[in-house]
Amino acid sequence: MKKLTAFAAAGAALFAAAAPASAQTIAIMDGTVHTVSGGVIENGDVIIRDGRIAQVGADLSAPQGASVIDATGKIITPGLFAPYGNLGLVEISAVGDSNDTAPSGDFPLGAALDAADAFNPQSTLIPVNRAGGVTRAVSAPAAGGTLFGGKAAVVDLSGRPNSITRSDAAQIAVMGYGGAARSGDTRLGAWAVLREYLDEARSYQNNPNDYVRRPHSGRFALSDVKALGPVVSGEQPLFVEVNSAVGIRTLIKLKNAYRLRVVIVGASEGWRVADDIASANIPVILDPLANLPSQFEDLDSTLENAARLHAAGVAIGFYNQPGFGAHNLRLMTQQAGNAVAHGLPHAAALAAITRNPAQMLGLGDQLGTLEAGKIADVVIWDGDPLEVTTEPEAVFINGRPQDLGNRQKMLLERYRDLSRGDAPFAYRGGE
Amino acid sequence: MQKTRWTALAVLMLGACSPQNGEQNDAQDGGGEAASAAQQKPADADSDNGPVRPPLDPYPSTYAPYQGETVLITGATVLTGTGERIDNGSVLIENGKIAAVGAGDAVSAPEGARTVNARGKWITPGVIDIHSHLGDYPSPSNQSTSDGNEVVSPNTAYVWAEHSIWPQDAGFTRALAGGVTSMQVLPGSANLFGGRSVVIKNVPARSVQGMKFPNAPYGLKMACGENPKRVYGDRGGPGTRMGNFAGYRSAWIEAEAYKKKWDDYWSAHEEWADDDSDDKGDAPEAPSRDLKLETLAGVLNGDIRINMHCYRADEMVQVLDMAKEFNYQVTTFHHAIEAYKVADYLAENDVCAAVWADWWGFKLEAYDTVGENAALVHAQPGGCAIIHSDSATGIQRLNQEAAKAIADGRRAGIDIAPKDAIAWITANPAKAMGVLDHTGTLEAGKMADIVVWNQNPFSVYAKADKVFIDGALMYDRDDPARSPRMDFEIGQRDNGFTGGAGQ
Repeated sequence: MKKLTAFAAAGAALFAAAAPASAQTIAIMDGTVHTVSGGVIENGDVIIRDGRIAQVGADLSAPQGASVIDATGKIITPGLFAPYGNLGLVEISAVGDSNDTAPSGDFPLGAALDAADAFNPQSTLIPVNRAGGVTRAVSAPAAGGTLFGGKAAVVDLSGRPNSITRSDAAQIAVMGYGGAARSGDTRLGAWAVLREYLDEARSYQNNPNDYVRRPHSGRFALSDVKALGPVVSGEQPLFVEVNSAVGIRTLIKLKNAYRLRVVIVGASEGWRVADDIASANIPVILDPLANLPSQFEDLDSTLENAARLHAAGVAIGFYNQPGFGAHNLRLMTQQAGNAVAHGLPHAAALAAITRNPAQMLGLGDQLGTLEAGKIADVVIWDGDPLEVTTEPEAVFINGRPQDLGNRQKMLLERYRDLSRGDAPFAYRGGE
Repeated sequence: MQKTRWTALAVLMLGACSPQNGEQNDAQDGGGEAASAAQQKPADADSDNGPVRPPLDPYPSTYAPYQGETVLITGATVLTGTGERIDNGSVLIENGKIAAVGAGDAVSAPEGARTVNARGKWITPGVIDIHSHLGDYPSPSNQSTSDGNEVVSPNTAYVWAEHSIWPQDAGFTRALAGGVTSMQVLPGSANLFGGRSVVIKNVPARSVQGMKFPNAPYGLKMACGENPKRVYGDRGGPGTRMGNFAGYRSAWIEAEAYKKKWDDYWSAHEEWADDDSDDKGDAPEAPSRDLKLETLAGVLNGDIRINMHCYRADEMVQVLDMAKEFNYQVTTFHHAIEAYKVADYLAENDVCAAVWADWWGFKLEAYDTVGENAALVHAQPGGCAIIHSDSATGIQRLNQEAAKAIADGRRAGIDIAPKDAIAWITANPAKAMGVLDHTGTLEAGKMADIVVWNQNPFSVYAKADKVFIDGALMYDRDDPARSPRMDFEIGQRDNGFTGGAGQ
């Protein structure tokens, strides 16, 4: 073997300095601080106290008794926030008993399903993504037989039992081709069914007693109709998967007619209608690597989608297209870096993976930037966070230093030396 | 829901799990050349009653390089793919070949050559993806275009991926912008024996023959583990991993018999031809051909390279025993998530591991991913690591995938320099596919398959500025006229073009 030296993790060394996990006050000193709210502070300091950011600035003094981290030469950013995925609802995608992401097509409920009921903070996906700097995520159920996935939760990646930041934080709907597949195989059907749901939900909101007493078709489950209440009242964002330019235009009309809070997911042709989206004040969660005419509804996909939407004034965030909605949320940084390579300003890319998702979920006053008073989700990086060769050296969630180990790193340690040894591989790591 | 998920799942469950192919041994490179020479022989008996020889490549390549200039590129950081890095290096392209590679002042421009100043830029061999389904699972992705998996029988060694390739797949153009100059297209992984792969050059053509890499050996795709047993578990089997193995072994036994039948026939024919007596009778009759067994016998003959989709370490070790049992070589394990657990076995058996940087968790057999997989495989003496895509998006950024694998290795104390790691996406796949004598490195005499990057390619910000294939400038990021656009992307919007390379 070549050069199999001892595993010397810089992060581990950093942590020794940060010490005890229960530390109440942490002073991260002399790093390059990307606040994502007020620019970049060279030789900047971030003081964390009681789970919140106490101070951000240059030339601050570490409070008495604080654990001091020397971040010289390091980059400090807010924790990454994944705005769309199904973290905590799936372990192995193809193993049914470990996958709660979507009900089967014949299951009658949709909007009523609540991610918070099954979100598993002990999922092994959480430490893997946490080691990549992800501190918050939207855990969203995906649509099964109905147009709706259900109630999404905002969670932190601490792995603690109480890691749900906000349940029922957003409702998920699928339109476009996915909606058509659930609505008689046309997009016309999907829009008609969506309107019907919204009308029913309004009707229920206006007079619940009357609604449940009156004879109605019973086409929709009552619990689904109830679940859409916060959507039709405009309190809760409705995440709508839609890709084509025409689909987005129709959605904007619907948003205006029903006065909804909408977040678009997908928008592979979003740049075609960027001004309309911006005028309608709709944020967009997109996959910046989607550049193939995979379906007829995204013929105009381009790597410049993110840059063009941003230039038009649209707030953007990133997600992985279906298939990687939980395991590799950590690749947000690579997505952001590629968006930069194709025209998105670096600062806007960083905002897309920190501040913007927090704002989309109505948590912009609590999370997403490094500002005094906010929840202390902070990452210290060994270089440009958007570069594929960098990684976090320390991660803080709610002001607590996080363990950056995970089962992948344990497997590495077990198998890095393949010599037979004194005992089978199965005994390694238990020392 | 079915409709929506179909695309993602088809790719993930079958594509991602599917093909394998490629080979890597120097010895087999020679075999490949021999095979390709044989491929040029007429399929049938000569007029003088020669023996029947089934054609090895009845759909031969019609690829012809496009005209390029004589170009001297100077001032770049050159990674040759042979483990060498030349700062302020020059590459001379002439007549479609690499004429010279060296330090700045060691290479001079012949008369009439155009000189390109590439200061600050990096030059590497063209990127090669050993695992692609472009053309077989093209864009747009729908029932009409889904041609990657012949899911009708556990053994479809009789199908050939090239017969499914749609040359108009827009994915080829996007891959070109990622610096990809050659690739192996494989059938999917639903079956124990998925069928033959084909090696192509990433140059658009009206037919797949126009893309086929001249004289490249064929591969055979096989699949371990979950996919075949899932697909056939309720369709007559195999329904278990032991069923998978029984299926492979029965097929090899059949193939041995088939091979012997033909070997015996050729021997008998030779005896007959050598017999000068007047009463020697008619020439021996040739056995009947069987497409499936012809491919399998081609493996046993050493003409066709085994590419085996295999995630789990224990299965790879069993497959290596099976290869010994039937005396064939496994060239590459694809999707070798657990290669790091048996990297020593793989190196000892001269087998490459083609891996992703960080995909994981879509199946149980993909649970044990480590980011250091490629580095650990590479670190074995004689180890052969390859980064592959199995994805129409991933193929566009193999440089970034390699960069992640380098970084993870470095943090684990395995420091692999860019000059060595570049082989993961160039020389190693070329070796495994049997085309290293022609491409995969920057060496005088080889095809001028070259990428000029705007910077160090192992960065998220790196982009291919120029891509030469056989010396012809097939992509130039700054020149829209040097960007292929497939028929499908014509006139979709405002009677203009959508897509194209670099989209």
